[in-house]
Amino acid sequence: MDVLLRGSSARSAMLRIPAPATPGDAAEQLGLATPQFQDVELAPVVFRTNAAKTADGKAARRELLVSATAVEVLTGLQNFASAADLFASAFGILVDDALLAIISATELEAGGQVCGYRLTLRETAATAVLQ
Amino acid sequence: MQHAKDTFYITLRDRIAALNPARTVLVRGVSRPAVLVEENELPSVYEQPQVFRLNWTDLAIDPRNDQPLATMRCEIRYATAGNSSNGGMDRGRLLAAMDAELSAAINAAPQRATKINYAASGATAMQTNIFWNCVVFNAAETKDEQIQRVATVEVFSYQEAGEL
Repeated sequence: MDVLLRGSSARSAMLRIPAPATPGDAAEQLGLATPQFQDVELAPVVFRTNAAKTADGKAARRELLVSATAVEVLTGLQNFASAADLFASAFGILVDDALLAIISATELEAGGQVCGYRLTLRETAATAVLQ
Repeated sequence: MQHAKDTFYITLRDRIAALNPARTVLVRGVSRPAVLVEENELPSVYEQPQVFRLNWTDLAIDPRNDQPLATMRCEIRYATAGNSSNGGMDRGRLLAAMDAELSAAINAAPQRATKINYAASGATAMQTNIFWNCVVFNAAETKDEQIQRVATVEVFSYQEAGEL
């Protein structure tokens, strides 16, 4: 999968992850304190700009194909139980300074093994204003 | 109004935690009572089952008193797919348990609490109370493998001088 992605104009993107919550901190639960965020690199990935789907009045959706190798490394480094937990906890994906929200993450399988992930992304309000 | 919303959330959270300490949710790696205010969480926090999710919707302010009376509607959403070990066949029972917990937490006397300013350094008691009426349960709905319900409660609060 990595070879396939590298041969398909692979690039990198950043996964924006919030820091773990503070146990028993009411300020976070009340929206008074915001978590710190860290951006970690995802590579190789293929950002499918030509796959944008736009319905009337709705933000454009895009796809990101991610190598399973990169996801496995990140999942281990960040102490997540699974790739699903990693993507569910992430705040979004930064592509060229544009923040895109993750709508879904689908496993790509080949030969019975997970070789990559297809992330469906949605442009956030901040992204729409920038464009 | 924000202090009233904060006070109602903390009161409900603590009452649910006292009624059923096992009802917890994992948010950003930390376990806490399964009561969330949606507007206070990251937009990316996906909907987990068996969690009470609070949404503040309608707002009305009666300015006729010295202290205007704010009436706020709180929608509480919750859903369950049952236990997978039971094939989800106990989802009705789990929803009924959540109904009972919510009813006990909100309808229990006293249906009031001292309004607290959590924004100050250290929680500070204010001069008035918040109070609320009994919870109203809407019809349960089935969505995919989950059964879900929205309950509503109206929360009242007097606006103190200088309060936002």
